[in-house]
Amino acid sequence: MKALVKNLLAAAALVFAAGTAQADYPEKAVTIVAPYAAGGASDLAARALAETARKYLDDQPVVVVNQPGNGGMNGARAVSEGTPDGYTLLLARVGMALYPAVQESSPVAWDGYTFLGSLEATPMILAVSENSPYKTAAELVEGLKANPGALTYGASGATAIDGFTVQALLADAGLDPLTAATLVPYKGGGELATALLGGHIDFLAIAAGSLMPHIQSGKMRALMVYAPSRMDTLPDVPTAAELGYEKAGQVTGWSALYGPKNLPQDVVARWQDVLGKVAEDEAWLEFAKRRGSISTAGKEDMAAYAKAQYELFNGLARDFGYIK
Amino acid sequence: MWNELLFAFQSVATLANVLAMGAGILGGVVIGAIPGMTGTMAVTLALPFTFYMSPVTSILLLVALYKGSTYGGSISAILVKTPGTASAACTVLDGWPLAQQGKAGKALNMALVSSCIGDFLSNISLIFLAAPLALLALRVGPPEYFMLMAFALTMVASISGGSLLLGVVSACFGLLLATVGEDMYGSFRFAMTEDMKSGLSVAPVLIGLFALPELLRLIFFRDDGQGQAMKLGDNRLTLSEFRGSLKSIIRGSFIGVVLGAIPGIGPSSAAFFSYGEARRASPNRENFGKGELEGIAASESANNGCCGATMIPLLALGVPGDVITGVMLGAFMIQGLTPGPLLFQNNLNEVYMLFIGMMFSSVLLFGAGKITVRFFSHIARIPQVLLAPIVLMLCIYGIYSISSSMFDVTVLLIMGAVGFIMLLLDIPPAPFLIAFILGPMFEDNLRRALAISRGDPSIFFHSVISWIFAGLIVFFVGLTIRREWQKSRENRAARNA
Amino acid sequence: MANKAFARGLLIALFFGIVFFAVIPVYVQRPSFIPGFAPPPDMWPRTVSLLGLALGLLAMVSAVLGTRQARREASSSGPAGWFSQHRGGFGRLALALTAFAGFVILTPRLGFLASSMLLALACFVLAGASKRLVTILLLAVLLPLGLQFFFGHVTHTPFPMGSWGVMPTLP
Repeated sequence: MKALVKNLLAAAALVFAAGTAQADYPEKAVTIVAPYAAGGASDLAARALAETARKYLDDQPVVVVNQPGNGGMNGARAVSEGTPDGYTLLLARVGMALYPAVQESSPVAWDGYTFLGSLEATPMILAVSENSPYKTAAELVEGLKANPGALTYGASGATAIDGFTVQALLADAGLDPLTAATLVPYKGGGELATALLGGHIDFLAIAAGSLMPHIQSGKMRALMVYAPSRMDTLPDVPTAAELGYEKAGQVTGWSALYGPKNLPQDVVARWQDVLGKVAEDEAWLEFAKRRGSISTAGKEDMAAYAKAQYELFNGLARDFGYIK
Repeated sequence: MWNELLFAFQSVATLANVLAMGAGILGGVVIGAIPGMTGTMAVTLALPFTFYMSPVTSILLLVALYKGSTYGGSISAILVKTPGTASAACTVLDGWPLAQQGKAGKALNMALVSSCIGDFLSNISLIFLAAPLALLALRVGPPEYFMLMAFALTMVASISGGSLLLGVVSACFGLLLATVGEDMYGSFRFAMTEDMKSGLSVAPVLIGLFALPELLRLIFFRDDGQGQAMKLGDNRLTLSEFRGSLKSIIRGSFIGVVLGAIPGIGPSSAAFFSYGEARRASPNRENFGKGELEGIAASESANNGCCGATMIPLLALGVPGDVITGVMLGAFMIQGLTPGPLLFQNNLNEVYMLFIGMMFSSVLLFGAGKITVRFFSHIARIPQVLLAPIVLMLCIYGIYSISSSMFDVTVLLIMGAVGFIMLLLDIPPAPFLIAFILGPMFEDNLRRALAISRGDPSIFFHSVISWIFAGLIVFFVGLTIRREWQKSRENRAARNA
Repeated sequence: MANKAFARGLLIALFFGIVFFAVIPVYVQRPSFIPGFAPPPDMWPRTVSLLGLALGLLAMVSAVLGTRQARREASSSGPAGWFSQHRGGFGRLALALTAFAGFVILTPRLGFLASSMLLALACFVLAGASKRLVTILLLAVLLPLGLQFFFGHVTHTPFPMGSWGVMPTLP
């Protein structure tokens, strides 16, 4: 009976889906899951990628679906548990390596994916408000040493990436990362930027995208950049590595493209090819520049990089006492 | 300034802009009216299309969608007791009783008129008050937010219906459910399953609580004559009715503008505030919640009064106040524009074009509303026994598509059952909802403020804003206690007579 | 009515009491890294549930105090009478809730489309529209079909197809 029904329905389905003969990947729309809220860095990166990648995927549409929640793990779990056919991919962020590194149990391990390639580096900036007495990162560290715990910093949570930026800096400076400055949690870049503008917190170190407008208008001062190299738009602001901060120098934001584990080889090859082309696409580079990020499309060995990031955060979380 | 505005008017009046706004408003109204589809969804869906539009056109499209959906939420609130968006929750309180009295058309027209007025006043204040309101927004820090939220929670008394005690119980329940999930420091509360770690979203809770009990009530009681189609008839809004509500409309718009300008507060809280205040000030106080046009006017003018004002922190400061303006910020960046003080220096012409376009969209909203009111009021003719299951289907599909989450659908269905139990026990759902929406802001800002002051509670009385709200809280609580006391004395007198 | 008020107060007090004494200690952790002066995660849930518990007790007390007066107003139907009067209602309510649960359980297996068709049909029948058999059959089939098509194409929502594979995939 079940088989009969199935056959009948399948026949009916053929009327809808006529002409889907065996063809090369992709033969239908590809969905990219952005695991954070609409309008955020992952969403914008996914939409920019969708707009550019389409050209190199035989004009098959690439659609973006937001699946936020639980530090990005809801979307990540949906993709990693999905069918590995290459039609549902994940716009991974640094959170995909961070979450398993700092939580006792994680819905998806850091390597529970097929790594298709890196997309972009999104620098983070250490900033204070324009009225702040601190002009450089070193002065801020001195201020922290003089009054332990008196200064407040904003972050999305103790174990969020923008909390680790500050805590890594504190650890590098030989201070207690948990008590040398007081954490005031806010939700998301918009709230954090507002809190700094309004003078409700003393400093923060969050994604460049949320801060650039205020730095350009002079309402905030950038003290240090968390990125492999200086930003084009802030040529005078040193990176954490340049200033000799070892742990902070390795913390940065990034986006990458992941798929479920065991993706077919032809899908992986196709996307590596596509990402290579995207890397040189002018629209993609322009979108990246406007969002304040640096394209790394197809450049990094993503599996190795994700492992390094996981180990970095796992080590920090152990040092700071978040996990045992 | 006037020359620039005139010039901007000429450059904004292009076919592309008008089309984008018209389509945006109409699409927004329809999306807002469908239970489970939200303004955020509308704006997100439109975002990729804006990549290839001119900056002004793309922002106008997104703003139009936002405005349209905010108004559209009132349509389903009135006709099917389901707020299409969270900000229309207060509209349900009077809209649905009116619809059952055969005055659906009247209620819809009142919602439209007050939305348009609120919207228009909001745009005006965006143009002329952006700078002072933006400054005010920055002054509001954690202690001030906390006092503001504490004040908002005293509004529970206004929406409790018959029993204040049950209203507060309902609010406690809402506050408790709002704590499910990850708290602001990153520790999990009540996370019994993996899904519960991300907490309960507003949309499934809201819709489950308001829309589904109606279906269950029908299933439970069945033959009390309410399974039939609603009566139709009294559809026109008379001038005297409009005049009677005008004060509430103006006040609601003002509340919407001020609360809209403060990041993070949003149209739902504004509508609650405005509703509570209108009820307090109205001579027809007892009729609120039983089908009072003024209640609709208060709620709808305030939620649309927010729309223009939420652009103030975005444009003047470059900070998004909610998810929708967050998406708009993304759109600005994709266009290579940076909102904030620099925008007014470098792109003043675009800013003025945006202002003029938004003024124009208030008029379009009225037109789109008139068309859709006529279309949607046919819904009132569908018998309830068919309509309620149809609404359930719309809700299930809408809620699932928000974040492709079966957990959200489960929450929707469970909240439906909870809502029905509350209905049987005469516990009002509105206080639950306001507490559910405001609770996290209340708690987070309490904890933030105490973290900043290192545990010293005097931080709540450092600024003028805090003192103003503290005064208002004392005033309202005193008023409520006096009224409750009077009520119980009257009851006792009636009993002894 | 007084009995209903008492039962209501009891339910409220029970709910918040269980949350306060049983659920919060187990399910609200207090991580060590939160600084001492900031209120911990369990502060707010505890405050709220304690308030709810107090209000529930208050409701019970006022129900008891109001009983005498309620008796004088000739209570025609006590809760027992009310329950037996609505026996059919409780049966249908139980069926409806079973249908809700069935939908959630069936969706990953049967797929979103087929499950929602079944749920729609169940709700139409339970709400009392079974006289219009053709209408509700058509609605129960076409409405989910249309909605799935709409959301699949406009928002690209990936609806569960079901592990049993009894339904065809829509284009």
